[in-house]
Amino acid sequence: MTTRRLEVSGLSKTFGRTRALRAVGLEIAPGELHGLVGQNGCGKSTLVKILTGVYSPDPGGSIAVDGRGLALPVRPAAQRAAGVSVVHQNLGLVDDRTVWENVRLGRYQAGRFTRRINRKVERAEAGRILEGLGYRLDVDSPVGRLSAQDRAAVAIARAVQDHRPGGGLVIFDESTRALGCAARGRFFELVRSLTAEGTSVLLISHQLDEVVETTDRVTVLRDGAVVESAVETRDVDEAALTTMMLGRHLASHGRAVSHARGEQVASVRGLATDLVADFDLEVRRGEIVGLTGLVGSGFVEAAEAMTGARRAEAGTLTVDGRELPLDRRRGCTEEFVRAGVAFVPERRLEEGLAGELSVTENLTLPRVRGRGGRLRIGAEWQHAETAAMIERLDIRPPNPRAPVGTLSGGNQQKVLLGKWLAGEPKLLVLHEPTQAVDVGARHDIIDAVREAARGGCGVVLASIDPSDLAVLCDRVLVLRDGRVVGELGGELEPETIAHAVFGGESGPRQENAMADAEEVARQ
Amino acid sequence: MSTIRDEGLDTLASADPRPPAPGRPSPVAAVARKLVSHYAVVGVWIAMIAVFAGAEPGVFFTGPTFQAIFGSQQALVFLALALLCTISVGEFVDLSVPAVFGFAATILPVLVVNHGWGVWPAALVAVLGAVFVGAINGFLVVVMGVNTIVVTLGMSTLLAGISLWISDMNTISGLPTGFGKIALTDVGGLPISFYYGVVLALGFAYVLGCTPLGRHMRFVGANREVSRLSGIRVNRIRFGSFVVAGAFAGVGAVIDVAALGGFNATTSSSLLLPVFASVFLGTAVVEPGRFNPIGTFVGIYFLATGILGLQLLGLQDWVSDVFYGGVLVAAVTVATVLRRRVG
Repeated sequence: MTTRRLEVSGLSKTFGRTRALRAVGLEIAPGELHGLVGQNGCGKSTLVKILTGVYSPDPGGSIAVDGRGLALPVRPAAQRAAGVSVVHQNLGLVDDRTVWENVRLGRYQAGRFTRRINRKVERAEAGRILEGLGYRLDVDSPVGRLSAQDRAAVAIARAVQDHRPGGGLVIFDESTRALGCAARGRFFELVRSLTAEGTSVLLISHQLDEVVETTDRVTVLRDGAVVESAVETRDVDEAALTTMMLGRHLASHGRAVSHARGEQVASVRGLATDLVADFDLEVRRGEIVGLTGLVGSGFVEAAEAMTGARRAEAGTLTVDGRELPLDRRRGCTEEFVRAGVAFVPERRLEEGLAGELSVTENLTLPRVRGRGGRLRIGAEWQHAETAAMIERLDIRPPNPRAPVGTLSGGNQQKVLLGKWLAGEPKLLVLHEPTQAVDVGARHDIIDAVREAARGGCGVVLASIDPSDLAVLCDRVLVLRDGRVVGELGGELEPETIAHAVFGGESGPRQENAMADAEEVARQ
Repeated sequence: MSTIRDEGLDTLASADPRPPAPGRPSPVAAVARKLVSHYAVVGVWIAMIAVFAGAEPGVFFTGPTFQAIFGSQQALVFLALALLCTISVGEFVDLSVPAVFGFAATILPVLVVNHGWGVWPAALVAVLGAVFVGAINGFLVVVMGVNTIVVTLGMSTLLAGISLWISDMNTISGLPTGFGKIALTDVGGLPISFYYGVVLALGFAYVLGCTPLGRHMRFVGANREVSRLSGIRVNRIRFGSFVVAGAFAGVGAVIDVAALGGFNATTSSSLLLPVFASVFLGTAVVEPGRFNPIGTFVGIYFLATGILGLQLLGLQDWVSDVFYGGVLVAAVTVATVLRRRVG
């Protein structure tokens, strides 16, 4: 076919100093199921947000649907007229409203004078759309009561209702996350019935197995640029995709010797949350233990719960002989901080630092009560501590009075790390410590974490970034559905870790995946 | 010369020489900008005084005018600082502050005049009453998680009603004259209650700026989740700030009643707007974009000067509504812009 359903070329997006997208191109044919994969922060979501008009791209790029160019930034009306629709991560459904209200949201026909929504017409219309998908649902039942696959059908029905038959493009932005394994089969049947008619689908997913199984072609993004454009999926497997996603350069930060000593510094017993079941962990002095898994596998929840940041249903943490229950009603983490537990959260400016306050104020916060007098914080130790951390982590600009919000992402992350390192923690729990920071800052952060381990601190690194895990960790625990399904040790390679996470299967398959990865690495 | 040698050493010593700092504006411009952003309101204040003095020579620039401005705002100082307690920990709109004040200020004369209590026990009960109301506010907002606006708006109306009820909607006066001394004793031409306000504002500024408690309050106000994860007892600080706000309002009420010799329960609601106007105006002084006690203090007397000056020019009572309302809108706008620039 000559006309392409979607043709994106030269699309760039710059946020402040970071370039989220670099001259990205993407082509999707009519009736094609096209996969888009890449690590977190590679620019997938930025691309979707440009396609849907949330962000305006840097000048120079172009987006065309069925050969007709769209004016940039994309306006919602133009996007709808062109037949581009998105199904978001959480499906974007309002749980306590009915099926028809959800399907027809934003398109309600109302009486000319009364402005009353014409229920009869709307219900019939919603039923017709669902039937068009070969789906039968009670349009009056609240969406919250539906099964996962029915919910997905409602979201798809909403997305495709404006398309002329056989036209349009549906973007699934991590939509399959919300589906269980069983529902996924039915979901892809639906998607296939769409593409069979000629509608195009862009599937964005972390689940490489489903990408390999279902898509026709796949595009790989890395660090904001397309590294593999529209590869025929039958030519690749998960291992090859993983290698493309990671790139060789990421493993450049060499491994260092382990600082783990025999003595145990912290242990978690019987940790349970809504997502995690019966989680145990022992961390030795100087040891760096990785926790990883897919989103929703519970590794993040386990890390948060062991620091008191999230309330657990059961479990205890023992730090240096001091026992702390994890199932507390009180939300505050005071006892944990006192016991020497430090938690570096992922969302810097929401959970880690107050952007409007200064570097010094943020950095010294956990210790103003301990080191300061009751009536006076005291200036000297604050200056000394801040200066030491600015020096040690190379925080720029080296201005202790600068509001943290004015620093770049990498430097904010350093302040956040310094805030906890200055207290010489016994257990340091990090969540995605190098997310969205530049290469130099990543280097400094990795060095600082290693130095902390050398000093005898036990470190837990919760991350989905295989290269971080490979570079830092002595061993890595892989979680799936709230349970530890594998432990990797020895010489860690990003590919091995990625396979254990993305590979979809556990147990014996993992061995195969590792062998595959080794083979790929040798090529 | 020496710089060249230093550079050489630097390159030898570290593989990562720092790039020179990006171009900065000249120091003079930086100082000027700092002065403007920190003290613009003070400048406007002085300009305003000059204008009034020019327009009404011989009336504005006199001792009585000075006393009228600086001797009359004690209630406002206590109330504005009470509001600041909750605002600085991120509870944005405590609308009940004037009503708590009115409630305490009604209890005191009612107990003394209508029920024959001694002045001091009555004053104690008034303050405790205000503290108790603050604790209820705190409980509902912090523990129960109810919206602050709704709780304090309801509480405000409830207390105003109770105050009218227990005072039979009358002005109650006839407190022993000796009691007035705690507010009216002349010190250097101004009533002593003016200095209470100064001490309170300075003390508050010290707590916020220099103590661990104040630092924790700042962080709770800036970001609760960050504070919680840093080991701060966020809810205790939030609850405490409501209680202290009640105490400030109560003590302010006792001093105000002492100065007036009585109280009319209908008057307290007129304080709401000036309280908000001065607290928000305060964010444009000393620490731009931040709520701060010294700024609030300056804001109060700024507003008092403006209104008295306009009244001396012959304008009627409506001018205070226009002025307070206008300044509140302008101050909130300025504060928002400043905050955005910093954040």
